[in-house]
Amino acid sequence: MTGEPLTPTGTLTVLVIDDEPQIRRLVSNALTADALLGADGARTAVRVLEAATGSEGIDIAAAELPSLIILDLGLPDRSGLEVCREIRRWSSAPILVLSARHQDTEKAALLDAGADDYMTKPFSTVEFLARARARLRHARSAASAASGSAVVRLGDTTVDVQLRRVERDGTPVHLTPTEFALLCALVQHPRQTMTHRQLFGAVWGNAEGDAQQYLRVYVGHLRRKIEGDPVRPRFIQTEPGVGYRFEPDGVLPV
Amino acid sequence: MTHEAAMTRTNRATAQTIALWLAALIATTLVMFFARAELDKAHIALAYLLVVLGSSSAGGRVLGLSIAGAAFLAFNYLFLPPYYTLVIANPLDWLVLVAFLITSIVAAQLLYRANVTADTATRRAEEVDRLATLGAETLSAPDATAALVAMAVVIRDALGADSCEFFRLDNDGTVVHAAAASRLGDVEFQHTPVPADGLASWLAGRAEVAVELPDGTTRLDPSSTESLLVRALYRTLRVRSQPVGVLRVAAREGLMLSADRARLLDALAYYAALGVERVRLVATAERAEAEREVEALRSALLMAVSHDLRTPLTTIKGLAQEIARGGSSVTRAAIIEQEADRLDALVGDLLELSRIQAGAVRPAADVNTADELIGAALQRAHGPLGVHPVVVSLSDDLLAARFDFSQTLRIVVNLLENAAKYAAASSSIEVAATRDGGRLLITVADEGPGVPVGEEERIFEPFYRPAGTPPDVRGTGLGLSIARGLATAQGGTLTYRTRTGGGALFTLALPAVDLPAE
Repeated sequence: MTGEPLTPTGTLTVLVIDDEPQIRRLVSNALTADALLGADGARTAVRVLEAATGSEGIDIAAAELPSLIILDLGLPDRSGLEVCREIRRWSSAPILVLSARHQDTEKAALLDAGADDYMTKPFSTVEFLARARARLRHARSAASAASGSAVVRLGDTTVDVQLRRVERDGTPVHLTPTEFALLCALVQHPRQTMTHRQLFGAVWGNAEGDAQQYLRVYVGHLRRKIEGDPVRPRFIQTEPGVGYRFEPDGVLPV
Repeated sequence: MTHEAAMTRTNRATAQTIALWLAALIATTLVMFFARAELDKAHIALAYLLVVLGSSSAGGRVLGLSIAGAAFLAFNYLFLPPYYTLVIANPLDWLVLVAFLITSIVAAQLLYRANVTADTATRRAEEVDRLATLGAETLSAPDATAALVAMAVVIRDALGADSCEFFRLDNDGTVVHAAAASRLGDVEFQHTPVPADGLASWLAGRAEVAVELPDGTTRLDPSSTESLLVRALYRTLRVRSQPVGVLRVAAREGLMLSADRARLLDALAYYAALGVERVRLVATAERAEAEREVEALRSALLMAVSHDLRTPLTTIKGLAQEIARGGSSVTRAAIIEQEADRLDALVGDLLELSRIQAGAVRPAADVNTADELIGAALQRAHGPLGVHPVVVSLSDDLLAARFDFSQTLRIVVNLLENAAKYAAASSSIEVAATRDGGRLLITVADEGPGVPVGEEERIFEPFYRPAGTPPDVRGTGLGLSIARGLATAQGGTLTYRTRTGGGALFTLALPAVDLPAE
């Protein structure tokens, strides 16, 4: 299932799907072995494949099984969302989406469709490479690591997922069942943006319900209980319009 | 006195009046018959004359003349010898009798004329009255449409109709409903969209008058509307012989227009035409004014846009040429990137503003918390906020409202960036969330100079920058226009006031949501 290369060992294959030759050139030039591989000792070369249309992109992705896919949304033949969904059916290679529109709803739809990250044009090459590296690293660790210990430490708060117990400075914190389910869903997907829809699924199953409209309110209550400052949260980060991201190490408050 | 009563008295006597004056004639005759021996012919003639005058006055010319004839016969038969024949013995008696008859006829005739003149005078007075009312309504109503409705009421009442409607001939030739007054279900008439009445639309300018008969048929320009029972009457309204609209009067029971009323309608229609024309002129003026404003805004926008777009482009182009000629590229590249970011921000804002103005912003309203809104805004604005300490005050309860998170986030970020931009470095910025009835209020207050008095609303216009803004305080000049547009799209408001003690205070109000118990 994973996009492990059929190409010579030591070569990382990246597919760039964009109808603009200028952008393809920019991205291809940026994706050098030095920039992309860094700490990855196992691979020494990067091979960049280019596709100008969605259909061509899907064909190449199926034939070459690239390790990373850069996908532009404004393709002439089919919508990027469709391409994303199609590739995700048989590949788990990270997909990084580029778009000229910056609508948070679009971002959420893409993440729901299986994209891993999203950048708006114009973007800085530095940030683009950082994200590409992060996606590759994440794909590797997801493949190797099983989920860690059942006890998670969030600053001065400890969460025992198995015993369903939360303590802050040694004193138990009372969480409602919904708040606990929400916290577990986030804790189990560290550093990963979970869309609102994914969280609905994790907390309430597939049931449609009245309670779902209060998802953001439950997060609000949860933050007031486990974060030091609810407007400057360290662990449960907001991805505006998209969802939430759990940072196990806690980001420094701004 | 109504027209109906006036016409009855001068033209036709009621059966009651006829019976009354016949009885008076018989009574007079009987009284005089029994006192025949005591009476002179002159007394008898005078007594009869009184009855004739009375009946003429009360019952009109026909009754007067009939009573005169009957009195003539009775005088001859009963009081002139030889009695009980129509033969007259004394030739002088002939003279008396003929003189009586002539006097009676002349008197009846004179009385009739006097009455007609009096009636006409009354009607004229009423017409003048109506016209005066109409004139007053037309002139005094502050709103052209209200004036037209008032006129419709006057015309409806003057003609005794059930409804009176005006249709206006628009600039593009279509006919639109302008105003109506109706006794039957006002609602039905007032909200009739045009072309509700095909005839009105068709008539405008093609014919002067059209009538709808009770059998449902229509007749154009009938030679006379007098003594014609109509269900509805249409009349083209003209100002300086140019058609401006159509008037329609209708009565469920039918309407009959006498010559008098037709003349009154002519006069009223003239005023109505002026009223309709006034509505059209007002509409045209309003449209022109709105277009002028839009045009002014558009050209101001275009000027600002071309200036703001070209400045960074010029820099970029110049630097690229320098690099091409072999200049050092590292610092220049940094400036190029900075200018590109400026361009990007401006293009983004312009797109956003045009989306708002085109009504393309559809908020995806969810229940969101004030904590998260303020938190995300602080995070997003943390660069521009720099060293400004931000004091956040939240209520003990979690506050929530229904709004589109991303759009509302933009508003708060913009307010924070503005505060950071205009307030003195490292002065503190206060952000608070409070509940005020059905609204969640997010306030952003700074210790800066605030907005000059009188400019409080202008700050929400595109490309407004307060006078004396230092040139290094740069933005696209669209932030607050976008922020207000987005706030409105959320069903909320964004307002400014000067903070007590100086500084700017922006308040974003959003529709609050009551949270269920935990």
